[in-house]
Amino acid sequence: MVNTNKIILRSVLIGTYFMIISILIFLISSLFSYFNTGADRSAMLHTEVKTIDQYVPKVSWKDDGNEGRHVDPQTLSSIESDYLDAWYVKHIANKTNLKNGIDDFYTKSARKNLFNFIEHNKEENMSIESTTLAHNPDILFFSEDGQLVVLEDKNVIEYKKVIKDNKPVIETTETSDYKGVFLLEDGFWRIRHLVKEHTSEFDKTILPSLMNSSNIKGINYYPQATPWDMFGANFDLKIIKKDFKIIKKAGLNTIRIFVPYEDFGKAKVKESKLEKLEQVLDAADKRRLKVVVTLFDFYGNYDVLDWTLNHRHAEIIVSKFKDHKAILAWDVKNEPNLDFESRGKELVISWLEHLIILIKSIDKNHAVTIGWSNIKSAEILKNSLDFVSFHYYEDVHDFEKKYDNLKKVIPNKPIVLGEFGISSYSGAWKPFGSSEKIQAAYYKEMQKVLTKKNLSFISWTLYDFDTIPKEVVGMLPWRVNPQKEFGFINTNGVKKPAFDYISN
Amino acid sequence: MNFKNRLFILIYIFGMHSVTAQNAITLLTQEKQFVAGSTNLLEFKTSNRTSYQLYCTNSYGSTLLNSEFNNGTVVFKIPAYIGNKTGVVGWKIIGSTESISGKFTITPKQKPASLESYIGPPSIEAGGTDFTMLVVIPTDELDNPLKQHTKVGMKHQFMSSEKETPIFTNNLIAYQTIFSPLKSGRMILSSESLGLNSKEYDVNIMPAIGTNFKIFSKRNHAYADGNQITTFSTSIIKDKNNNIVSDGTFVAFFITNKKGNILKTSGTTINGIANAKMIHPDHEEVWKIKAYIAGISESNCLEISYKKVIESFDIHFSDTNRTLKVGPLKSFMNQMIPDGLRVSLSIYKEGEFVNNIFKTTNDGFVTFDLDSNIYENGNYNLEVTAAGITQKFKAKKLW
Repeated sequence: MVNTNKIILRSVLIGTYFMIISILIFLISSLFSYFNTGADRSAMLHTEVKTIDQYVPKVSWKDDGNEGRHVDPQTLSSIESDYLDAWYVKHIANKTNLKNGIDDFYTKSARKNLFNFIEHNKEENMSIESTTLAHNPDILFFSEDGQLVVLEDKNVIEYKKVIKDNKPVIETTETSDYKGVFLLEDGFWRIRHLVKEHTSEFDKTILPSLMNSSNIKGINYYPQATPWDMFGANFDLKIIKKDFKIIKKAGLNTIRIFVPYEDFGKAKVKESKLEKLEQVLDAADKRRLKVVVTLFDFYGNYDVLDWTLNHRHAEIIVSKFKDHKAILAWDVKNEPNLDFESRGKELVISWLEHLIILIKSIDKNHAVTIGWSNIKSAEILKNSLDFVSFHYYEDVHDFEKKYDNLKKVIPNKPIVLGEFGISSYSGAWKPFGSSEKIQAAYYKEMQKVLTKKNLSFISWTLYDFDTIPKEVVGMLPWRVNPQKEFGFINTNGVKKPAFDYISN
Repeated sequence: MNFKNRLFILIYIFGMHSVTAQNAITLLTQEKQFVAGSTNLLEFKTSNRTSYQLYCTNSYGSTLLNSEFNNGTVVFKIPAYIGNKTGVVGWKIIGSTESISGKFTITPKQKPASLESYIGPPSIEAGGTDFTMLVVIPTDELDNPLKQHTKVGMKHQFMSSEKETPIFTNNLIAYQTIFSPLKSGRMILSSESLGLNSKEYDVNIMPAIGTNFKIFSKRNHAYADGNQITTFSTSIIKDKNNNIVSDGTFVAFFITNKKGNILKTSGTTINGIANAKMIHPDHEEVWKIKAYIAGISESNCLEISYKKVIESFDIHFSDTNRTLKVGPLKSFMNQMIPDGLRVSLSIYKEGEFVNNIFKTTNDGFVTFDLDSNIYENGNYNLEVTAAGITQKFKAKKLW
């Protein structure tokens, strides 16, 4: 007994000893690592490379020399980055009414001018969400000692939304010309003088596309195994080619696919993803299928300071495929009207409008549309789009009437039914739900109307799916399960009765 | 259509027109240009008393202004921080049914309050090819750059010349490049605009790079005693415009001896002359010396010779031939050679090299001890070299 007690006491003592030692070591090592981290000496020289893109408006330098010294590429790039940062800190200050960062990019006498605005706006409980979409800078003068630059920036496209007492008051897009004097101080090119020399309202005129986009008989397409993740790790071109053959054989001529924003790499679109997209487009072209590419899938921020990133994303994709034969149209965003409530209707619409202008400026041939989630929203931005497209999941019997009403409002633009369909699900979560028969009847009825009205359509969707990502309809089983069975072909690859009515 | 009908339509149209006019708000202010700092107001005519807001944007920012009523007009006071800065100010009325917008320009006061001057590089090379640049930003008292094409007088003084050149602002600044004169010295610059004079700025005109030069040598005597020092010096080194090169210009002297080995010494210039020193050789020698300013210029080639001081010396063996006493070593007046002359002993055994021992003289003598623990008994070939003279001993027996 005594022996056991001794052993217990001993082990407790040894255990305590180890614990104390390890705590001590932990404390000393944390202290040690604390003193070894923090401000790096190299930070004084501003040599660190910032890799996160926060603000990437389109910058087109006018390269026509200058009075004074020749500007080498490295100086030019540091002028560019400091100039854009000067704009960026101004946008942040506009939004937050804080002075952070302004000291770095405006000289002592110039920053006062910004502070005056900040103070007034703060007093008035105002804030301004702003961004610039394009810059066309030109160095007019570079001093011999390399310390002073005069820069002209023509046709700066500035978007501003003024908010007062948490309510949007005015939204404006201006095109302005600026001239500025910059001084090199502490390694920063700081704005010394800035003069707006000209300003006008931004011209939002959009020219219609040249290509004909009528007579679409299409289907929204995801591979059966990888719904909402078409370009992910399990990308399989063989399956896609096989599916395209089925689609073509069914008498369809168009597919609608989705490009996820973050998966594609946001502002820096990944080359590998573009390659996959190209393979899909090539495969579609081989089967003579046209493709409606829906951009900005799984994106929902719309923040004004995010716009330049969105624009670079769209710019890369659109300019790469603007001459691809398979492209039929660019669908700017799928069902953006669902974000009206959470993000603000005006904000979403301005976001869409500026993206339409951007896409149109790059690709003058292909149509641009927006896949509105319901027929009610279909009128929004109708004059900016080449064809109006809306989704219809309501009662099949009301469709004709509702469509006629829409046609009255939009008599001159082609209209496309961008998504429609019905689930064949019936089960524990929806006992009196649908069936494959009901689904077939639905499509029969819809096709009748579509044929009668000679209306272009893109149905939802080719396959039943096994899983639905939670970002699509959430996690609730009574929503997820019906979503799985919208297909014309079930998970075993067997065509459902509705397949007979896939086209007209 | 009869007359009654027409009248009705006319009245109807008139009525409609006045209804729209009632809601409207129209700009009264005619001016499109204001001078910075002046109180400027935007006045609008309106028939109702609803208040409006004005969105206003200038070079630095945007804001909203509130209206005031004044005798049936809506007045917006443009605050100083907008009215003080030059550039285009865009505005828009908020709260009106139709979009009413416009813009006006704020021009700088045409009276400079400061002449912000930047000059650089601060030192340039004489000779008329290098130049510096003066940049002047004349600004008014509200820190606005003055109008395009404002005259700025650029004044500069160098030695006896004083000049004033008119330059004009363009793109917010005025600038002038100033080429260097032929002479080195200090140039003083200043500027003037509309009666306001700047501070004085100066630019150093540095001499240009040196041209070829001559070198000279100076020594106490011509004997190769390994003790005295020869001093080399350059002529006054000048640039092509006769300016003495900057103090501290580095001159390297390369000395090539009879064997083709190179010795190097160097100096930096003071008042154009560089000095460098080298110790005399300890044996008869001929030196060829040439000096360079690396990559820039070179001197003539100087040749000097050193006379032999020691014709021969004695070596005395003792202590079973294991102690060698070399000396006395005598210099040119038969005086003992100054301490420190290098004497070497080379030891060979059966034709194979064993060791080299170096020693320096002390009071004219050097003693070598060959330790019996290192050098076993036997026959050795020994060579003693001093001041370029070698004495050889064959099969010297150590025991």
